[in-house]
Amino acid sequence: MINFKINGISLEANKGETILTAARRNDIYIPTMCYISKTTPCGSCRMCVVEVQGVDGFILSCNTPAVEGAEITTNSVALENERVNIMKLYDVNHPLECGVCDKSGECDLQNKTLEFNIEKQNFSTRDISRDRQNWGLINYNPSLCILCEKCVHVCNENIGDDAIEIKVGGYSSIIVPKDADYLDCTFCGECIAVCPVGALVSSDFEYSANAWELSRVPATCAHCSAGCPLEYETKHTGVNGMDEIYRVKNNFEFSSLCGAGRFGYDFDNSAPKNSDAFDKAISSIKNAEAIRFSSIITNEEAHILELIKDRLGIKLFNDDARKFAEFMKAYSSVSGKLHHSGSLEAIKQADAAIIIGSRIATDNPGVRYALTTAARHNGAKIVYAHPMEDVLMQNVITQFMKYEVGTEEGVMAVLAHAILADADLDESEKAFFDDLDLGYIYAETNIGDEELEDMMKSFARSKNRVLIIGNDVIAHECSANIAKLAALIEKYSNFCVVIVPREINTLGVSLINTLDKDEDLENVVGYNANGSFVISSLEGSDLAVPALNQQEGSVVNIDNRVLPTNVALKFNGYTLNNIANALGIKKDNTIDYTKELNQDTGFKSVLFDDLENYLAKMGEDIRGYILDEVVCEANGKLDKLDDLPEYNGTIVYHCDPVLQFNAHTNETKQLEKDNFLRGSAQFCVAARISDGDMIELSFGNIKIQREFKLDSELKGTIALNPTYDIGIDANRYRFDKSKIVRVVQ
Amino acid sequence: MKNEQFNDRNISNDYFKVDIADYPTTDWGKFKCALDRTFKLELLVGLWVVLREMFKFNTHTVKYPEEKMPIGPRYRAVHEMKRLWESDTERCIGCGLCEKICISNCIRIDTKIDENSRKEVSEYSINLGRCIFCGYCAEVCPELAIVHGGEYENASDQREHFVMYEDMLTPLDKMKAGTQSEFEGFGAITPHEEERVKKTPLAY
Ligand code: SF4
Ligand code: SF4
Ligand code: SF4
Ligand code: SF4
Ligand code: SF4
Ligand code: FES
Repeated sequence: MINFKINGISLEANKGETILTAARRNDIYIPTMCYISKTTPCGSCRMCVVEVQGVDGFILSCNTPAVEGAEITTNSVALENERVNIMKLYDVNHPLECGVCDKSGECDLQNKTLEFNIEKQNFSTRDISRDRQNWGLINYNPSLCILCEKCVHVCNENIGDDAIEIKVGGYSSIIVPKDADYLDCTFCGECIAVCPVGALVSSDFEYSANAWELSRVPATCAHCSAGCPLEYETKHTGVNGMDEIYRVKNNFEFSSLCGAGRFGYDFDNSAPKNSDAFDKAISSIKNAEAIRFSSIITNEEAHILELIKDRLGIKLFNDDARKFAEFMKAYSSVSGKLHHSGSLEAIKQADAAIIIGSRIATDNPGVRYALTTAARHNGAKIVYAHPMEDVLMQNVITQFMKYEVGTEEGVMAVLAHAILADADLDESEKAFFDDLDLGYIYAETNIGDEELEDMMKSFARSKNRVLIIGNDVIAHECSANIAKLAALIEKYSNFCVVIVPREINTLGVSLINTLDKDEDLENVVGYNANGSFVISSLEGSDLAVPALNQQEGSVVNIDNRVLPTNVALKFNGYTLNNIANALGIKKDNTIDYTKELNQDTGFKSVLFDDLENYLAKMGEDIRGYILDEVVCEANGKLDKLDDLPEYNGTIVYHCDPVLQFNAHTNETKQLEKDNFLRGSAQFCVAARISDGDMIELSFGNIKIQREFKLDSELKGTIALNPTYDIGIDANRYRFDKSKIVRVVQ
Repeated sequence: MKNEQFNDRNISNDYFKVDIADYPTTDWGKFKCALDRTFKLELLVGLWVVLREMFKFNTHTVKYPEEKMPIGPRYRAVHEMKRLWESDTERCIGCGLCEKICISNCIRIDTKIDENSRKEVSEYSINLGRCIFCGYCAEVCPELAIVHGGEYENASDQREHFVMYEDMLTPLDKMKAGTQSEFEGFGAITPHEEERVKKTPLAY
């Protein structure tokens, strides 16, 4: 702890903490213009200047650590003059368009101009013409840009796209796409969020509403298991229209959103109330043998489904959550704990990470951003083990470990072997490793022991290590053994484990429901899933129910955190709770179940209305609550390694493109709907197809038609097949041997 | 300014008190009063005065609707939307402040980006059935776009009675003729405002 004074008030700061953060923690105001908490300070504005006794000149508080005994002044006359002069410079030739500007009302420049009372422009410079630019989902207006560089910093340090840069040229400096004529990025829109002025705006939102007209609804993103905090902003449409979501905002100071969260908000269900359909739904459920449902539901809905199962004695199908639960069960049988130990915050703090079995940038952008932050801020060594390289991760990872499709069990075994080389294992565990035929595994997985040595070398000095496990492993045939290996690594080394659930509430469902193995029965009611009678928030359902942005309830995200979400838009029809009431399971509201969620798996008896949903002053995540740790029996034994499977020929990997996740994101209007089968030049040769061909793709018992696109960013003989538009079961092992034939038109 | 004239709440000497009997309090008194009113035909006394004056053609009221009183510039009746003198374009920039401030929630506006990347007001309506003519919208408008006009004859057979943007906008021929009138009520520009504007030095 460091003791020092600001304006005569004694404060404490942590070692290395900057003057600015210490001041903010203690509610002392220092104006800033370019500072943003989640990046390293870029020091471009000089608004944050302070005086330190005994030091000549001004000090930048945003990038200067507090030192023992320092006496700091934040508000002398000289400082005030300095700041006023900076503001005067910012305002030179700034267009007088607050009246129409999208940022008006929440603009840092506007606020500070008023704060420092800049009434007139005493000097001038000849203005130059700057054209506004359209960058797809983003519009850039250089005349409004104050060159604070926040956008450049988040794009590089938090997102990892590194897609924009500042083109330096004095007064004519502007922000430009990096090394490109047009912006080709993942369109997270984070640059829009952090821009303190109206220079970067959403092209869809531009000029459609003003800050003061929008109502804010705090919620949780519904698209992936990161469960990012966001706010839907709603307003009526037109003169007689209903409310609509106009845009999504986030607390960009501390958290980031991906483009799906930011631009994919209009997946609400506007179907009218239909009481006939409701009656049919009730009778269908009464006759059904099972209910099949997806994990894109709230905990409360999952709980209601469980109650329906108990009352009617029917089965519940959700293979995604069932596989996840099985994986976690095997993991717990070795780790002795019900929940994984890591979190997104742990990844951000990590200085070493292994990620296996996931194309993470598209599976869970939240994890990707956490990894980017770890790489940029802690210089983390990141090992990316996967059969396919991913250009999006290229400038974040330090080592790409390519393994053969299907050999995840072998990969995990050699990873554990390398990491636990000196660990104090017990007899049976030792026996497992002694039994391993390393030569065979190296050959089949295609991972060399030099690669493992390199990895261990690069990890040598690291203290905070994370093992991130993705869906290819969870859905793998031998997932149980892989889970036990992961738990073993956690048990005997300083790795913590993050297991990435596939959907927003896969984790919650796996803790609430007792699931049955999916069978092809005749009478299955689908709840947001396939069935003979479909109850769904998607188009074309037999009974319409509200989408996740029209419901209140909670979900459990990758951090084992129970997160509340609220109603952004009204829904006029029936909810699952209405159905439950008709079946004799009586409660007034869905959220009355929040306090009754399964406490054996770590839920707390907390009322929904007591769940908070915001980030605190210094970014502390105090949303909802974290599941209680549940201790369980640790009696699992590792199974002997099976022969590793071989995948030859043309293989497709079912993996969604950037910003698409499921049928809900597919319904939104702004997100790009890229539905090509994408493959490398090598794949073209192997499959004997070429760019632009219409092909028929068959795997398992599924047949679909797609256009093939040659993708110069891909390598190898695996092609990428999107699933968001065809709804392949989420639980499938995502690599498939497939037959590809060209369709002659 | 001194406040004395407002603080002195004594009525002036020009006023005199009318001698009116107190209301009866006893049951008998009330009964007597009712009898008086019924049988002394007090009602006809008043009626007679009216009739007498009518036959003498000596009316003191305005003969509405043939005759109408001129109304003051600050009168707050049905809204008008002004245009810019220089270019004839609409003054409204779609800031939505009028919609926000309206206490009876009767203004609804919608904006969008137009082909020239400018903000365009795509819809604007006021529900006069709800409007209480408080003048807040005119006061808050940063562009002196929405103002109150003098049109007060807006009786309607519907509770909902809307005026749209086009109805309120100054017609272009009026602009050509230069007869658009400025509103002088609350929120209006003060006289000699132009002299107070300081220009940015352009010495480069
Ligand atoms: S960026 Fe801010 S100061 Fe500039 S026009 Fe927009 S609201 Fe006004
Ligand atoms: S949208 Fe995201 S990835 Fe694209 S330039 Fe902005 S911050 Fe970078
Ligand atoms: S675009 Fe916005 S965030 Fe980027 S430098 Fe300009 S003002 Fe700053
Ligand atoms: S899709 Fe995932 S990463 Fe993107 S905003 Fe939603 S929760 Fe966050
Ligand atoms: S306040 Fe004035 S400028 Fe703003 S929307 Fe209303 S009429 Fe238009
Ligand atoms: S906030 Fe410190 S230089 Fe901008």
